Amino acid sequence: MRNFILFIRRFFNLILFLVLEIICIVLIARTNTMQGNDIMSSANTAIGLLYQKQSDVKYYFGLKRMNDSLLNENARLRLMLSQKTETYDTLADSSVRVAIPSRDTNVKVVQYADYTYHTAKVINNSISAANNYITINRGTDDGITKNMAVISGSGIVGRVEHVSKHFASVLSVLSVKQKVSAKLKDGTTGYIEWDGEKADVLVLKDVPQQIKVKKGDSVFTTSYSFFPQNILIGRIFKVAYLKKNNLQLLYLRPSNNFRNMQYVYVVENKMMPERMQLEDSIKAK
Amino acid sequence: MSIYLRNFLRFCLIVALQVLVLDEISLRWWTAPAGFPVFVPLIYPLFILLLPFETPVWLLLALGFVLGLTVDSFMNTAGVHACATVLIAYLRTNVLHALLPKHLSEYPNQSPGVKNMGWVPFLVYSSFLILLHHIVYFTIEIWSVGNIGYLLLKILASAATSILFVIAYLLLFTRQVSARN
Repeated sequence: MRNFILFIRRFFNLILFLVLEIICIVLIARTNTMQGNDIMSSANTAIGLLYQKQSDVKYYFGLKRMNDSLLNENARLRLMLSQKTETYDTLADSSVRVAIPSRDTNVKVVQYADYTYHTAKVINNSISAANNYITINRGTDDGITKNMAVISGSGIVGRVEHVSKHFASVLSVLSVKQKVSAKLKDGTTGYIEWDGEKADVLVLKDVPQQIKVKKGDSVFTTSYSFFPQNILIGRIFKVAYLKKNNLQLLYLRPSNNFRNMQYVYVVENKMMPERMQLEDSIKAK
Repeated sequence: MSIYLRNFLRFCLIVALQVLVLDEISLRWWTAPAGFPVFVPLIYPLFILLLPFETPVWLLLALGFVLGLTVDSFMNTAGVHACATVLIAYLRTNVLHALLPKHLSEYPNQSPGVKNMGWVPFLVYSSFLILLHHIVYFTIEIWSVGNIGYLLLKILASAATSILFVIAYLLLFTRQVSARN
């Protein structure tokens, strides 16, 4: 026993060093398995508040840019509205049966929709890490839960990973541990990945060579993933052929500019819990 | 100002500089990066480097761990910064022993700095530990040797920039302290 205590006293520093390093490695390993731990993220309240203050300062410098992006988005929405007014009741054909509560009780019209959009302001953003996170100023109080999709006016952004009462941190598409299901305009599906290097290059893998792809073709989200269908991901700027397995790699520029996001939409899919339950029940068998 | 208070304030200042200012500027060495990595300079290891000479190793380790975890929570990288910081906190005493002519206990109530070490030994001391910190940090973060050129480029570019920022920090803040003493 005495020898043991002497041993500990002699190598106390080394033992403490090893213990701390092991704690670090356990923490790293836990976050890499997607579940993560909510305490150690920028979504916790203290850090969220600090980032909120910082964002308030930066807000004024970005007003011009934000105005431009809002104008562009308004223009796009007006265009969509003008196309939709002809065929107004297409939403009723949706297979989904969740009614949107109407504010006006005199009108007995029931509308159906899959998705609810919550606006959120980006209060912290990074593009230089291997897994980039975005902190937004909406949390459980605003109805945000884990695994909701996040999009911006121009394209996809990411997936909610940690939520606190007033903040949430979003794992961006610019992350080496997250793949997003994507399709070309003819319906060929594949996965979008990020190679971890440049913020304006995404890769669409596993497209057979017989599919003819041109530069400038658009790539959209599919209904397989947590994102809503048919949201623009980006445009192809380079096509590379792989001789060894007859597949081609498509490099695309994301349509969303990750460097200067100001506002995003968190998409709540009302049918998602039911769908997840069904898919999990199949996996459990 | 007491040495505890001064180091506590320095902790707050350096963490605030790191997460509120430096993390916002994603640097590139030239404007059109053809495969050149985007990176963020990390100056927070400077807090560990500037602790007094007589700080015991266990306290260095504990402070390194707390500092690393604080930065980790801001950057959403649970444990990666802490891992690298604990390593340099452990090696700090050995590096100082190797570089200084006298034993560490002969510098009572002093912190490593340009004043009492001289520019060259201090720069060797800080660049060595910062480079080590960056190697560990980026290796864990990128975690692939497939693209080793990219990894090395990222480590060297950000270590060089971090050291520049460390020198800027020293030029800005040392004279102020010496004027007060």
